[in-house]
Amino acid sequence: MAQQLQRLWKDWRLHTLVLAIVLLTEMIGTHEVSIGPGLILLLPMLYAVIIGIALFFTPLVNEKQTKHAEQLVFLSVTLLIAKFGVQAGPALPKLIAAGPALLLQEFGNLGTIFLALPVAILLGLKRETIGMTHSIGREANIALISDKYGFASPEGRGVMAMYIFGTVFGAIFMGLISGFLSSVTPMHPLSFAMATGIGSGSMAAAGLGPLVAAFPDMSEEIIAFSGASNLASTVTGLYMSIFIALPLTEKMYGWFRGKKDKNPTKIPSRNQRRCYKLC
Amino acid sequence: MLKNIQEWVMVFLIIGAIILIGNWVGYDILPTAAIPGILTLIAICLLGLIIHRLLPFKLPSIAYIGILGFVLTIPGVPGSTYIVQWTNEVTLLAITTPILAYAGISIGGSWADFAKLGWKTIVVGMCVLIGTFMGSAIIAEIVLRFQGII
Repeated sequence: MAQQLQRLWKDWRLHTLVLAIVLLTEMIGTHEVSIGPGLILLLPMLYAVIIGIALFFTPLVNEKQTKHAEQLVFLSVTLLIAKFGVQAGPALPKLIAAGPALLLQEFGNLGTIFLALPVAILLGLKRETIGMTHSIGREANIALISDKYGFASPEGRGVMAMYIFGTVFGAIFMGLISGFLSSVTPMHPLSFAMATGIGSGSMAAAGLGPLVAAFPDMSEEIIAFSGASNLASTVTGLYMSIFIALPLTEKMYGWFRGKKDKNPTKIPSRNQRRCYKLC
Repeated sequence: MLKNIQEWVMVFLIIGAIILIGNWVGYDILPTAAIPGILTLIAICLLGLIIHRLLPFKLPSIAYIGILGFVLTIPGVPGSTYIVQWTNEVTLLAITTPILAYAGISIGGSWADFAKLGWKTIVVGMCVLIGTFMGSAIIAEIVLRFQGII
């Protein structure tokens, strides 16, 4: 680890590229695009992801930089988390007042099961659905699914697909929809602030950016609420997946497949499936 | 451990410098005004990472960092007013831009895998993110309204 880290800070090519991206994107600044009744905020961070991806296809970036960049995302996210923390302290009385909402909205993360699972089944996906839709599929979820179903199982393929999707597209997508949804729905910015805590640092950052930019008067409260919700998701996320989300996904999957098939067949249990594989 | 701390410090100083420059170019805050703030944030991160190494609990390091920043700025804690005042000079958006620049470069490595995903995965993936985001927002909205906070 120390060896790796040493190479990490010495990767001047990478840091210079990031500095150049930051300079360029901050100079371009924020732009607004209206789509129907809604507003999409194009923030420097959004251009930054896209330029970053594009750089991969130039000789400036090679495998070494992408590996280092991955670890640097983790270390730079800690600064964001620290910023979350120091905004939350002064807002303590407000956070206590909003405590019930903060805790209960964690259950909102189950929303993926109610929206994405039926869609996946309509599209004809099979047990991949379970891996894909039980959560937003970050590292901890890959571990959970591998542990329960095996990495090479359909469920394992599902969670990996979601992981790759989230890694590449998650931040861009969250950056686009959070501003849009907060401008087209009558819901309060603070509710969306709490919703940004979905269990991924870079997606939270991308979802929070447009809210802060669109509601500058409330930015301190928005950051505090988002930070508290992020912390709650970080601590409770995996347990939520183990004890509620995954069992619920299994139940819903069985129910929907039963409805879809004309002759509903019982879903084979884990042992039975293992037997099929062996037979 | 000592070696690690040294490396963390170097990495944070580099990222910190990039944030200061973005903070200046994009949000018109002079680096001289933002230096105490960024150093405070770096100190909190380092402390959190060290505590994470030392304590036996299985909490992620970002949990310690978040809690540390939170506790240090609760009104009444000695020095909290300074920390709040300093860190206010470091804009959130100036922190997120370099994070996502590094993220973008690291994403490039996953591009080949991404290109192999079918359109169905992409549709379902978007539904997963919208479902999680809207699910939480709707519950928060209902509870906050019920409590009369908003």
